[in-house]
Amino acid sequence: MSGKLSACIFGIVGFLIVLTITATSLSAQSIEEKTQVCAGCHGQNGKPVDKTIPVIWGQQQGYLYIQLRDFKRGDRKNDSMQPIVSSMERADMLAIAEYFSKKPWPDLGQPRAPKEVANRALRANASVGCTGCHLDQFQGDGTVPRLAGMSRDYMTKTISDFRSRARGNNPGMSDLMLATAPDDLAALTEYLAGL
Amino acid sequence: MDKRSILAVALAGVAGILIGPVFAQEVKQEAKSISGKAKISSVSQDQLNKADTNANNFLLTNGNYAQTRFHPARQIGRNNVKNLHVAWIFQTEVKESLETSPIVINGIMYVTTSFSHVYALDAKTGAEIWHYKHKMGPVTTYCCGPNNRGVQVLGDLVYLATLDAKLVALNAKTGDVVWQSDIADPELGYSETMAPTVIKDKVLIGTNGGEYGIRGFLKAYDAKTGKLLWTFNTVPESSVGVWATKDATGRDMHRDIQVEKDQLAKTGDPYQKLGGGVWQNPAIDLATNRLYFVVGNPSPDLDGSNRPGDNLYTDSLVSIDLETGKYVCHLQYIAHDVWDLDAVSPPVLVDVKGKDGKIIPGVIHAGKTGHIYVHDRKDCSLIRFSQAMVPQENMWVLPTKEGARMLPGANGGVEWSPIATDPGQGLAYAINLHQPMTYHVENSPYPNGKLWLGGAFKVIPGEAQAGNITAVDYNTGKIKWQVKTPQPMIGGILATAGGLVFTGEGNGKFAAYDSSSGKELWNFRAGAGVNAPPSTYMVDGKQYVVVGAGGNTQVDFRRGNNIIAFSLN
Repeated sequence: MSGKLSACIFGIVGFLIVLTITATSLSAQSIEEKTQVCAGCHGQNGKPVDKTIPVIWGQQQGYLYIQLRDFKRGDRKNDSMQPIVSSMERADMLAIAEYFSKKPWPDLGQPRAPKEVANRALRANASVGCTGCHLDQFQGDGTVPRLAGMSRDYMTKTISDFRSRARGNNPGMSDLMLATAPDDLAALTEYLAGL
Repeated sequence: MDKRSILAVALAGVAGILIGPVFAQEVKQEAKSISGKAKISSVSQDQLNKADTNANNFLLTNGNYAQTRFHPARQIGRNNVKNLHVAWIFQTEVKESLETSPIVINGIMYVTTSFSHVYALDAKTGAEIWHYKHKMGPVTTYCCGPNNRGVQVLGDLVYLATLDAKLVALNAKTGDVVWQSDIADPELGYSETMAPTVIKDKVLIGTNGGEYGIRGFLKAYDAKTGKLLWTFNTVPESSVGVWATKDATGRDMHRDIQVEKDQLAKTGDPYQKLGGGVWQNPAIDLATNRLYFVVGNPSPDLDGSNRPGDNLYTDSLVSIDLETGKYVCHLQYIAHDVWDLDAVSPPVLVDVKGKDGKIIPGVIHAGKTGHIYVHDRKDCSLIRFSQAMVPQENMWVLPTKEGARMLPGANGGVEWSPIATDPGQGLAYAINLHQPMTYHVENSPYPNGKLWLGGAFKVIPGEAQAGNITAVDYNTGKIKWQVKTPQPMIGGILATAGGLVFTGEGNGKFAAYDSSSGKELWNFRAGAGVNAPPSTYMVDGKQYVVVGAGGNTQVDFRRGNNIIAFSLN
């Protein structure tokens, strides 16, 4: 476990301790204050502290909302996220999702894929039809996430989790990932990270 | 960040989360008037009823209530179409998949774009009159692109259905919202891309969502108030049917009926999440007050294991009563579909030769299978089906985990693209895709409104794709002519009394063909995919042809944002 990741988890633990001892209304808090806890893992400047953690700055509002909802429902499993969302209501989730969706997408400085990798990725896209949902330039919309410029390690982990169905809140994605060759998925990951 | 600051951050986070609802959704609409010079007139029901004989206007999405897409204007004909040139180009704000059917009313054009924008334009100059930009809700769940296929006008209201599953009535003069109704919950996979159909006091609307485990419907709303009048569920509570083992053309679909019956005994009728979207407009028989529409695929698309039975009325032509929404008749093309080769292209009402050779009221539909099906309008029964317009191979091999090759691919044949007809010639014109695919099956439980394909359909890399424009004699089922195109075709087609058909391709080519022979007579390169149905109309005695050139998400054709109108010198 990296130092940053352990610090991120420590922050969540601290958050949970505070959560249990705080029962009074905190209605004066601004959205910036409400979302401070997120920065512990997803980054103060939008760059996650660990490469297996997704970018949420500039991500689609609908997608962020659905993930928060699914963490709360237990449809998506994550030991860090589930305690955080457990007390959230729908309006909280929508507001937090909107807040982050309006932040600028951070440049993670990932290299552009070499031409042969990009070509393989585009062939895979033409076959499976990723852009049918993720749209032109992989920018996403609504409940479909932006993939362009997402952390390569996060995408690798996510694809692996879809293939094993460890990530269970989108079986349609699992089906598509299982129908796509691992080498094609690796090319897609490298290509998307560099966009 | 050190540990103390992390704790402080956590404390601040708690404060945020305990605060409760932190934002109220604001539904703010935007409509702006720029020129306001063109005179916007209202549309009467009588005008809509007679749209098929109105050479000046293009009043409904598919031309008229019979949806013939045959327009009586004849100023542009076979002899002079070579002189067609650009009259104007209007650039929309949205450079994304463009599937709009422009409608034109007394010199005013209404077009839509992806993400549910509406523009009112001066049809003579292309000048913008107003622009309505729908304030999209945060949750949209849709398949195949953020498309919108158009609006309809009745009286002084313009009707739009939106990606976040709302029905909106706009003031035709200003673009301001008059009323808005929720059609269904987008969080459960419902969305809208079709144009509403308006008749008398009713706005008719279907739904997308067959890829998300919805229960499909066609609904009627009060045109003045937006109040729901009736709902026809496209999947009845008893969806099992007759355990058909053959498709409408008589081919074996390789169903294991006993396995399905065992599943039915175990899990019951799967009607609640069985899909059955209605992607395109109903045709309306004004003499009988009956609607004819087609219903899309069952959910999940490729995995039939959890949905025993015929999955009525998916993959079917259905007729219901306009006043009550009550069922009249249906014909299912493919029972228990596991290939997504469903019914999407809007049906057309024309008189056809019945089985005994006598002319009777008919209804025709072009399927993803590549056949044009000809029905008796009275009872929906199938009279004949056409020769296949695209290669068919290995039908109906069942999908496998590794992928089974079968033609047509899952986009068709004929996708959502409306066909055109020329009743005088007895011809139907369809545009087709040829995309070799493998069909893969996986099993997963209902995912609460998420994508639910039950597998994947994959274009086979390296295998040539193509398209075609095909004219079919619907009284014999024989292909009269066919023009091959280098890419799969999706968008739509128009026939005119000038003896022409107009259609576009993904490579940007927009062309006119002799409707009797298929000979190409004129073409234009639009620079972006022409994947929308053309319309035609007249202003001040001059005929125009108009089409959107904005590419397509589903087949990934080059995007653009142009509405292009053509006229003669």
